[in-house]
Amino acid sequence: MGKPTGFMEYERELPADRSPVERVGDWKEFHQHFSESKLQEQGGRCMDCGIPFCHTGTLISGMASGCPINNLIPEWNDLVYRGLWREALERLHKTNNFPEFTGRVCPAPCEGSCVLGITNPPVTIKNIECSIVDRGFTEGWVVPRPPEKRTGKKVAVVGSGPAGLSCAAQLNKAGHTVMVYERADRIGGLLMYGIPNMKLAKTIVQRRVDLMAQEGITFVTKTAIGSDIPAPQLQEDFDAIVLCGGATKPRDLPADGRALNGIHFAMEFLHANTKSLLDSDHADGAYISATDKNVIVIGGGDTGTDCVGTALRHKCKTLTQFEILPQPPLERQPDNPWPEWPKILRVDYGQEEAEARFGADPRIYLIQTERFVGDTHGNVKELHTVEIEWGKNETGAFIPKSLPGTEKVWPADLVLLAMGFLGPEDPVLEQLGVERDPRSNAKAEYGRFQTNVDGVFAAGDMRRGQSLVVWAFNEGRGAAREVDRYLMGSTELP
Amino acid sequence: MLDSRPDNCRQIRLPIPILKNSDLEKLRRIDQPGLKAVTLPILFHPQHGKDSLEQALDELCQAADSAIENGATLLILSDRDVNAERAAIPALLAASGLHHHLIRAGSRTRVGLVLESGEPREVHHFCVLLGYGVQAINPYMAYECLNDMIGEGLLTGVAYHDAVSGYIKAAVKGIVKVMSKMGISTIKSYCGAQIFEAIGLVRELVDRYFTRTPSRVGGIGLAELAQEASQQHARAFTTIPVRGQTLEVYGQYQFRKDGELHLFNPRTIHLLQKACRINDYAVFKEYTRLIDDQSERLATLRGLLELKPAATPLPLEEVEPVEAITTRFKTGAMSYGSISQEAHESLAIAMNRIGGKSNTGEGGEDITRYTPDPNGDSRNSAIKQVASGRFGVTSEYLTQAREIQIKMAQGAKPGEGGELPGRKVYPWIAKVRLSTPGVGLISPPPHHDIYSIEDLAQLIHDLKNANTEARISVKLVSEVGVGTIAAGVAKGHADVVLISGHDGGTGASPQTSIKHAGLPWELGLAETHQTLILNNLRSRIAVETDGQLKTGRDVVVAALLGAEEFGFATAALVSLGCIMMRVCHLDTCPVGVATQNPALRKQFMGDPAYAVNFMQFVAQEIREYMARLGFRTMNDMIGRTDKVEARRAIAHWKAKGLDYTAILHRPQVGPEIGRYCQIGQNHGIERSLDKQALLDLARPALERQEKVSATLPIQNVNRVAGTILGSEVTRRYGREGLPEDTIHFHFQGSAGQSFGAFVPPGMTLELEGDANDYFAKGLSGGKVILYPPTGSTFPAEENIIVGNVAFYGATNGEAYIRGMAGERFCVRNSGVRAVIEGVGDHGCEYMTGGRVVVLGETGRNFAAGMSGGIAYVLDANATFDNQCNLETVSLDRLNEGDLQDVRAMLQKHVQYTHSTQARQILDDWETRALEFVKVMPKDYQRMLDAISRAEGSGLAGDEAIMAAFEANKNDATRVSGN
Repeated sequence: MGKPTGFMEYERELPADRSPVERVGDWKEFHQHFSESKLQEQGGRCMDCGIPFCHTGTLISGMASGCPINNLIPEWNDLVYRGLWREALERLHKTNNFPEFTGRVCPAPCEGSCVLGITNPPVTIKNIECSIVDRGFTEGWVVPRPPEKRTGKKVAVVGSGPAGLSCAAQLNKAGHTVMVYERADRIGGLLMYGIPNMKLAKTIVQRRVDLMAQEGITFVTKTAIGSDIPAPQLQEDFDAIVLCGGATKPRDLPADGRALNGIHFAMEFLHANTKSLLDSDHADGAYISATDKNVIVIGGGDTGTDCVGTALRHKCKTLTQFEILPQPPLERQPDNPWPEWPKILRVDYGQEEAEARFGADPRIYLIQTERFVGDTHGNVKELHTVEIEWGKNETGAFIPKSLPGTEKVWPADLVLLAMGFLGPEDPVLEQLGVERDPRSNAKAEYGRFQTNVDGVFAAGDMRRGQSLVVWAFNEGRGAAREVDRYLMGSTELP
Repeated sequence: MLDSRPDNCRQIRLPIPILKNSDLEKLRRIDQPGLKAVTLPILFHPQHGKDSLEQALDELCQAADSAIENGATLLILSDRDVNAERAAIPALLAASGLHHHLIRAGSRTRVGLVLESGEPREVHHFCVLLGYGVQAINPYMAYECLNDMIGEGLLTGVAYHDAVSGYIKAAVKGIVKVMSKMGISTIKSYCGAQIFEAIGLVRELVDRYFTRTPSRVGGIGLAELAQEASQQHARAFTTIPVRGQTLEVYGQYQFRKDGELHLFNPRTIHLLQKACRINDYAVFKEYTRLIDDQSERLATLRGLLELKPAATPLPLEEVEPVEAITTRFKTGAMSYGSISQEAHESLAIAMNRIGGKSNTGEGGEDITRYTPDPNGDSRNSAIKQVASGRFGVTSEYLTQAREIQIKMAQGAKPGEGGELPGRKVYPWIAKVRLSTPGVGLISPPPHHDIYSIEDLAQLIHDLKNANTEARISVKLVSEVGVGTIAAGVAKGHADVVLISGHDGGTGASPQTSIKHAGLPWELGLAETHQTLILNNLRSRIAVETDGQLKTGRDVVVAALLGAEEFGFATAALVSLGCIMMRVCHLDTCPVGVATQNPALRKQFMGDPAYAVNFMQFVAQEIREYMARLGFRTMNDMIGRTDKVEARRAIAHWKAKGLDYTAILHRPQVGPEIGRYCQIGQNHGIERSLDKQALLDLARPALERQEKVSATLPIQNVNRVAGTILGSEVTRRYGREGLPEDTIHFHFQGSAGQSFGAFVPPGMTLELEGDANDYFAKGLSGGKVILYPPTGSTFPAEENIIVGNVAFYGATNGEAYIRGMAGERFCVRNSGVRAVIEGVGDHGCEYMTGGRVVVLGETGRNFAAGMSGGIAYVLDANATFDNQCNLETVSLDRLNEGDLQDVRAMLQKHVQYTHSTQARQILDDWETRALEFVKVMPKDYQRMLDAISRAEGSGLAGDEAIMAAFEANKNDATRVSGN
């Protein structure tokens, strides 16, 4: 806490994003950086709390409160205030292998639980995190740090998303020989192909992957465990296996007309778009185009927003986003007090851009799709919807109830389903004989990460179900610690 | 030995006990006849655990013996040679073990013990090492850290050598502070004094290495110490470092996820606040489950105890109701000043709603709070605290109390007084404390009227006279021997004794007091209860405890160990929105709890209802435990340690050596010995002069405001004369009292102690004769006059007419004394205008207001710590500047206003006492006036200047004061309160 009174003197301030009108014309990142003096002021707003809620990730009513990887936020805020950027970077890397990712894509439960947030706008923790690590790269402070010794133990990590990468990085630090398997052609999982380039530039992902390779991690792409290599083969070749395959089964919308052309899962749309962008700057045309189409995105979460942002960059004709839940309130409600995750209306980049382009927020709340209707060629033509309200069934569970007379028809040429994910895919888990929990995730106790199969661990969405990148980091790091303990008898990994 | 020869007294004199590296090397290389230094390693083989540690300690002792045999006079214990194979013996274990070995061998006085270690770094470390016999310490790792921090840019603007000097200076100041808390003034006395109690060390270990240290609950031994040292060592010498170059954060003072367990943490604070806000008992139970379940991570002694349920539990309906239990609840003594008006009043309202008691803390109370709110709420705190500073302790304050608490010590910072930094002394705080805005307030560690248990008994009696309806409570700190003190308190006729635990307190405690100072209440409470029972005193005094009581279970354990009343402070504040920022001393509390800053106070989001919910939840939880244990009333439960046992299933590797026999001991006494408070104390009020005569004489004045006067004889058995009458005046006529001289009593004789204590306006007590100690202590607006008997032949101005500690803590009134006073005259005066003809040592110490005219000599240390008011001293021989403590005051000439003021006071003095001294001065005023010196506190002057500047810029009244306060607030040149 460089400045005890900083929070009384400075207002919360973030660097302005590139203007929505400008940025929808390209695929570059839309966040910009602050000047050093501004960042110092913002760091000076941190109060160095006796109990820094920001740093202590917990789940309250299923939502994250505070940082799940326990970033030492008060420390690096203070270091930034004092201009000690390199030390700040050291502190940041101590708990977070990839702050350049969380600094861009994390919803920042830290800020939701920032103590200053009880009465004032919270500290700009996420922006400061991103600034620290970006500066570290600019200055050349982030260099490969291979382990001094190797243990001779070999570990296979299946899946190269956030859980797999953080797990691999930690295992490698402990001196194990790590091989990461990825079925796609590029490393990164959702970081590479789930999150679009404007939110997290792929050069940034690749930069980290390259660093990890230089530290001695082997990456194997285009290799699907379970088909290209039978999973049991890994048990033969490695001392331990960590399954970080994610929860990739999307939730479907089983309405009439679902089989029509032009109805896609969000991930198909986003993956193809990024791959084509990286391969050929979209010259190969190998992507699902939204250009000049009436686009409807079903689902109001982050993936839905990414679809909105991507469709806008394709120059779609119209754009609508459906959300089945009611519009959140503008401010915290009494049943959602600090430090809980604030359930409030947020305008993310996609909505902001849509508003700039079409003049209105694209979101429609409390709406449900009844059926898809196609044209004679089997292409989707329109969506039929009904408004709903939420009620309780006889068991007390919340269920949507259609409101008669609110039916509506929406023209639609492209429908993107961004309604979340159900769980992991089956082959690897089945081949290894890994037990599943009632939600079909790999069964492994949190904190232990060990499955019922000796030497097989599971982490990230594959174990926990769909969640935040930062929880994947938490699990990847935790699983690495447990694997190290399993292999060596004790561990120094955090 | 017995011949005085030079070689019998070869010693090295060190100015301070902390050595720089260069100092140590000089000692190591000392080459003088009769002086020889030998360095002994304190290392062991970590992989061989306890055996190696024990062997290394034995070898250390042997090596020391043979070194002494060979003429060594200085032993330097060193862990410099730590490497991958050899770990450091914990420095305190090595040093104390050797110290006691040498004492047993009879050779301790032949050598000096110096420690060269990477381990000590905090004030506490240094103190414990010194206390266990080390004479000088070289904390080389701390210096290395400074060097490293400078290299990394963490420390800027300071060169290495200056940083080391600064560090040493701070360490030595810290050591001195700790010594002063323990009442020890020289390092020689502190060294080896061993004034510690161990918690969690097994008897055999203590007997051998920390001989004669009290250790009451057993605990770990050499094996565990070796294991812990090995773990630390292993972290430093890992084969593959995985944690980078940065150090771990252990979260000692500020919570960190992987650091020290804090029972108040994000989970528990959230649940408690949520439960209290939405009034949801189920959420509260989630909170208590997290606090109470310490099966894996141990945090408190009570967490290691298990309650034994009754064979047949009672139905919950048969247990006494919540309302009966909450009357036993109190909130902690947190002053208005340390916490905001909003927080302070919320607590008062809440406690009044549930029939409990809130506590003013030290520092007075705003009189508007004595009038109930329109909705029936009362903001009047039931407990008025009387602490060493006596801030705002007026007759009115005392008569408004249901309980008066004498703070002897504070669990959170034993041995220290409260400290309110100047930046928190806003004008409205200064008003209730009767002090100057912007000037820091320091409560002296001792009460200046208490130097023995008899003095305490006197204060108890004084306060009982000041409000005969209030219970008198004495607050003590849990420590070994507190039982004996509590027995003295009971014999001194206190109605309540409070045993305060170590871990209470706001975040404003000094860092040297947050940890390692004071003891858990479990220990002090058990000792107190047992001692009182064994002396058959328990039945006439209520026992209260506090110190991080958070749950119903905590209270139940306290009751079973012997408490019948219970204080909550931190938990109550958390229910009102406190989030444990630990910046209470900075005035930056962002939730408006521990701040006076108006902008931050607006952010207070608490409500008395939240605190009410908290208290009722706790009571409800207590009832559930009572049903389970088979108790219908709290009284049945008190002292029933047979219902508690040591928890068997404790997973922790350090817990197996714990032994609770001493805490759970139940004295075997007959049924005639009461185990809780059942009998009232006999305060002897009926025998007082007031009850015998004064109240009757003053009836016309009390009832009809008619003037009364009388002449009465007085003897020294007549203590506290006039105080009960004064309380009656205040009860009927409030702070303003009666018109001047409405009641005029003329006493003749020798007055007993505390004559005229707390007497309010309208009362004039004229004493012809002499007076004992505590004359007019706490004077609250009355007038006291004292002169020798008519016809006495001695020169009055050369003879002592009044004892020590006159006018201590006086807040208002006038005093004319013809003759000299003893020591500590007008200490902590905040408003009285007094004329005296000479004073002993420490006159006007810590004074914050009023005017004192001294027409003669003063003792030494005059005006020490004085921060307000003015003293005028007749310095005929120009010697006063030697007697005056000039740390916070300056000596000036009197200006025209001063001269008028002094002259008027002298004229009254002559009128009331016929002082020849004063008459002579007045007769030759033009000349003699020049002999006066004005003692002016620098802070007070600065504030007056700031106010006149503000007035010059067009502001007036409160606005001018506020502007002056703001201007002064961040003035780094302020003398006190930083």
